[in-house]
Amino acid sequence: MRLTYNWLKDFVEIKLEPELLADKLTMAGIEVKALEEVGGDTVFEIEITSNRPDLLSVIGIAREIAAITGKKLILPKSQSHKVTKSQAHKGFSVSIENKKDCPLYTAKIIEGVKVAPSPAWLKNRLELIGCRSINNIVDITNYILFTYGEPLHAFDLDRLSPGGIFVRRARQGERIVTIDAAERSLDKDILVIADNQKTVALAGIMGGKDSEVSPYTKNILLEAAIFSPALTRKARQKLGMQTDSSYRFERGMSPHTAQNASIAATDLILQLAGGKLTLAKSAGALKAKPKSVRVELASARRILGASITAKETKKILVNLGLNVKASGKDAFRAGIPSFRSDISYEIDIVEEIARIRGYDSMPTTLPKITPWPPSLEKRDLVGLVKQALVSLGLNEVITYSLINRALLEPFADEKDPHLVEIQNPLSSEQEVLRASLLPSLIKCVAHNHNQKQEYVNIFEVANVFTEDKGQVKEELHLAIALSGIRPLFIEETVIKDKAGLLHLKGICEALFGKLGINKYEFQDSGNGRVNISVAGENTGLLIRVASRISERFDIKNQDVVAAELSLEKAFVQSNFSRKFSSLPRFPAISRDISFILKDEIPIREVLAALEEKGKPLLAGACVTDYYKGKQIPQGCRGITVSCVYRLEERTLTEEEVNPVHSALRSLLEAHFQAKIR
Amino acid sequence: MDINAIRQEVELEAKGINSPESLEGFRNKYLSRKGILAQLTGAIPGLPQQERAGFGREVNILKSQILSIIEERQKVFGARSGRSSSEGIDIGMPGIAQPLGHLHPITQITNEISDIFIRMGFSVVEGPEVETEYNNFTGLNIPLDHPSRDAFDTFYLKGYNKLLLRSHTSPVQVRAMKSRKPPLAIIVPGRVYRPDAVDASHLFMFHQIEGFMVDENIRFSDLKGILELFAKAVFGSEIKMRFRPHFFPFTEPSAEVDISCIICKGRGCSVCGRKGWLEILGSGMIHPNVFKNVGYDSKKYTGFAFGMGIERIAMLKYGINDIRLFFENDLRFLQQF
Repeated sequence: MRLTYNWLKDFVEIKLEPELLADKLTMAGIEVKALEEVGGDTVFEIEITSNRPDLLSVIGIAREIAAITGKKLILPKSQSHKVTKSQAHKGFSVSIENKKDCPLYTAKIIEGVKVAPSPAWLKNRLELIGCRSINNIVDITNYILFTYGEPLHAFDLDRLSPGGIFVRRARQGERIVTIDAAERSLDKDILVIADNQKTVALAGIMGGKDSEVSPYTKNILLEAAIFSPALTRKARQKLGMQTDSSYRFERGMSPHTAQNASIAATDLILQLAGGKLTLAKSAGALKAKPKSVRVELASARRILGASITAKETKKILVNLGLNVKASGKDAFRAGIPSFRSDISYEIDIVEEIARIRGYDSMPTTLPKITPWPPSLEKRDLVGLVKQALVSLGLNEVITYSLINRALLEPFADEKDPHLVEIQNPLSSEQEVLRASLLPSLIKCVAHNHNQKQEYVNIFEVANVFTEDKGQVKEELHLAIALSGIRPLFIEETVIKDKAGLLHLKGICEALFGKLGINKYEFQDSGNGRVNISVAGENTGLLIRVASRISERFDIKNQDVVAAELSLEKAFVQSNFSRKFSSLPRFPAISRDISFILKDEIPIREVLAALEEKGKPLLAGACVTDYYKGKQIPQGCRGITVSCVYRLEERTLTEEEVNPVHSALRSLLEAHFQAKIR
Repeated sequence: MDINAIRQEVELEAKGINSPESLEGFRNKYLSRKGILAQLTGAIPGLPQQERAGFGREVNILKSQILSIIEERQKVFGARSGRSSSEGIDIGMPGIAQPLGHLHPITQITNEISDIFIRMGFSVVEGPEVETEYNNFTGLNIPLDHPSRDAFDTFYLKGYNKLLLRSHTSPVQVRAMKSRKPPLAIIVPGRVYRPDAVDASHLFMFHQIEGFMVDENIRFSDLKGILELFAKAVFGSEIKMRFRPHFFPFTEPSAEVDISCIICKGRGCSVCGRKGWLEILGSGMIHPNVFKNVGYDSKKYTGFAFGMGIERIAMLKYGINDIRLFFENDLRFLQQF
């Protein structure tokens, strides 16, 4: 909202310079966003919080200034206007269909006005705050709107059919052309002002074009009313039109202010446009229900932690326009004026005390904090996972949970999870909550390849969403994506390391190790897809993204591998208890076997067979070298397995190991058609 | 072999050493495993008994002469070259180690803020991203048909009655207070969603961190104290702070908290809009209606709550000028943190 320094000075004595005044207002919760000196005055741009409709006016702000600076608010004396009865309006009525929609409607008829341009002072004030001057009548209604905060409307009385004003809900399909020349279609959720033939205004939002004040207008009907905030809000949302008027009615207006504004407007009209008041009618409640709130100083002290005296409290509240009476020792009962719709509880009064006194004057203390017993929470496990992945060189990304449905399609499980849809997305990019993190990660891979990154290694930890038996299920997932070639430095050379599924496997194994999970399995299900099970439960997968899919993401000539697993499921199996087992007391004998193995024979089976056969001397067998290429026949690979022989209770001799080791060599040749090298 | 002839040769060659390479050649010629001195030593057993001791002495003298020549020359070249001839490496080559990856800056700021509060004794609680309308609005004293709701524009789920994507982390206040009794000291980090058009300072998904404390005798002054500790820990002990009255439906009295601009130190610049202050969070004393909704007695308990946007804190702290960078996930961006 905009207003000016001189305008404020009409209602309160101000000794502060505009800059300093702006600071004081800001520190009392009336934030001055900007101020600008224009033509000998200063324009303030102020942000008013939604609980204070009374501050959407010059008088409202002046009242705050009075309270902050300890001055008195100067309100203009309202003149009682003599109504000159006119035969023409005999029987003119004002009726309200439902008082809940419109608690008060006042109408004044002024006859014989002369519509003309406004005087310079009025034009100037309105223009300073960015309101276009139209003619004296319209300008006066606007001037009073900004001064008092009460939206007024003036109709050209001769454009209304005689008989009276009706405040009612619009009929389905009813139409009106508003002052902005737009034709609007109405329904029963919209409150309108009507004469006995037609709708003439959208209540609290905008008047109709047909009855607007024109240069030829002679007689006017001046409306000052109160409309239901909720109804005004619904109507303006439906119609998609926000006006200075709807903005205020939506926040709530007071009957007292409405009447004062109507009187002040009449004053100005008679003064600037002439004419005479010939009718003043109203329907509804002229007075709001009286409201009072009791406040104990002890409560204020308890909540603020500050020492607060009765004297200063009383002064603050009185200056804010509250009607304060003592109510026992160190307590007051405050009558709340109808424009302070935000004050209903003791805490509201406590806030007023703190606000006007200034938060900076409140002490600063530290509370005693009682911590909960420490425990390992999901967040801590997520921290471990992220830390482990970062130490493996991966970079964390964060992507949107909302996604275009089409991007999820290629990654849908065969079970086809039901997607959770958004009712009001701004674009198709937000149409569903994602059931998989993979598409978002692949998008990141694409972005980074486009930026000429040779190697992309990223992960994300986030919830995925699916429908499960009519409920939305949120499950914490981890996804990893690798793509491109990483230069691996080793002593004396560099290896170009192309990311593949075994890289993902290694990462997952490291992760499981970190979480203390040892019952896990990787099962190749063909087509570049490996299922991960943890403790027998399907927990995730590794995939080589097919090029027809990665092309959808604009990835060309780059392989992408990705993993996704349910952290929720993995965490269930995590185990952080560790038990020490004694280091071997006797040395082991280690023997390597190098052999050539056909590609189709899984190494896992070979190792399992060796370990079985080597019992009880063989403590373990693992792959220590492998090679494909020159010197190895097509369709085969060269492998070295290191066999470690050990006994718990004594040192083994070569003579004991030799026969076992040859048995293993024979097993490789006989069962796995391996060629020992 | 004639030791004297060799000695003359050594002296002659020593004058010709003019580079690390020629020094290395010199050393190899005389001191390597099959070098001249090794040959001389190797010849000792073949000498007559009476000559062995004398010859050995001569060899040793020669060896120490050679060593001192090498040492002296090495001083000259050593200062110019990072290459240690004994190890045969160039230390200017890339070091060999798996490079560390990077946590997303949002995660880092979340951790930093969380850790500050955890050290004070707060616990971390998380809540679901899909929330009920009640927890997101009504329970927090936000009426459904009031303009105070306009600040929390919300994504609703299709086909579910009153389920939405939380538009702030505050619904976790309702959840935590309903499931536990005071004293509570909790922080809540998480993702939140609002249907805002995307630009340099708005996104439809972002992160918040919420904190609240409930006990007997928690006062506004305690809120000031805790937030001052927090802001100084994050932005430095030299910053100034101010608490401005504001309105939030779920707290009263409510305050917005500003810190003196960390760019211009309060003099006024483009980052702070020439005001010298930067708004960093919203806060206040928990509204008695919220306590009523969760079944706490507001005569007995009081509490404070605060909340902030993590992206905003990260942007201020790191000097990032476009919020979209956080979700573009360019490695060149991520690897700066």
